[in-house]
Amino acid sequence: MIPLLGLLAGIVLGIVLEPSIPQVLQPYLPIAIVAAMDALFGAFRAYLEGTFTDRVFVVSFISNVLIAAAIVYVGDQIGVGSQLATGVVVVLGIRIFTNAAAIRRALFHA
Amino acid sequence: MDLLNQIIRQPVDPDYAVAAAREHEPPRGRWALTVLAMIIGALFAVAALQTTRTAPALELERTELINRVRNAEGEQDQLQGRVTSLTQEIATLRAAALGDDDAAHSLEARIDALDPVVGNVGVAGPGVLIVVDDSPSATAEARDRVLDIDLQVLANGLWEAGAEAISINGHRLSNLTAIRGAGDAITVDYRSLTRPYRVEAIGDPRTLQARFVESLAGAWWNDLAQNRQMRYEISDVKQLDLAADPGIVLRHAGRATS
Repeated sequence: MIPLLGLLAGIVLGIVLEPSIPQVLQPYLPIAIVAAMDALFGAFRAYLEGTFTDRVFVVSFISNVLIAAAIVYVGDQIGVGSQLATGVVVVLGIRIFTNAAAIRRALFHA
Repeated sequence: MDLLNQIIRQPVDPDYAVAAAREHEPPRGRWALTVLAMIIGALFAVAALQTTRTAPALELERTELINRVRNAEGEQDQLQGRVTSLTQEIATLRAAALGDDDAAHSLEARIDALDPVVGNVGVAGPGVLIVVDDSPSATAEARDRVLDIDLQVLANGLWEAGAEAISINGHRLSNLTAIRGAGDAITVDYRSLTRPYRVEAIGDPRTLQARFVESLAGAWWNDLAQNRQMRYEISDVKQLDLAADPGIVLRHAGRATS
């Protein structure tokens, strides 16, 4: 319940305050969000399976976001930024779909 | 494929299982979780805001670019008009400067004879009109569209068939004219054309069409029309008016000093 409220509060805060992201970080925002979604779905699945731990979630989220952004950053430096971004999105997308399917099975038994 | 299989088989961080297998720790870090949830929410909101915010800016940039292209095209038209009027002025000045003796008359006669041939003045006469266009089903395949090489073949075939002057969509061809593809459009004299392509050629009305159809270019276009369903209409015209090529200028060649 608390994380859900936090999520909503974050969305409201983001809309109201409109913090401006530095120009340098802007290309990594979408990738960070995909990584965040992956962490969220993974956490929810772990929660349904009864293995959820706050600490693991926090650590996995931060490391996911940082690694995804770092991969794209390195890619940008060596000229394959968009391809690596595609790779990150594909891998995380597969994970998100697999986790979403598991969550659906756990929730609706279907 | 192993990598993908592994991703599918193990989509949840294995640390969850490891941490759960250890003894159940008392729940702590609730605050960290809440703060993180807020950060994630803020991330979503900011990204969504930014994307919607930049959309109109991109659109604005696009329309601005289109406007700039239009302006440049208008300017080009104006400049070409000026070239035409200046060319006429040159002709009258030249006539005045040459004077009235015999040598001047023969020189003028030569100029008058050569000008229409090189495309420096507009010409009129009988000839053929060829209208070509992409095939109606030309959605994806580039091979179903008229390419620059098709127009090149067409123009060269017309020259071969004895055409004396050719223009494509109103652009007179001279021996300095380039027919090239640029992006999606074909350019003649570096001006992009819009479909359909109307190729007008002045030549002997009795033989021009027949000779063109029998030439290699005729076969080329027959093939395109039959196998690629491109539009290819050829017809005799009694009177064609072809404008002068305003772009004729020698950039590197000068008069030979003998």
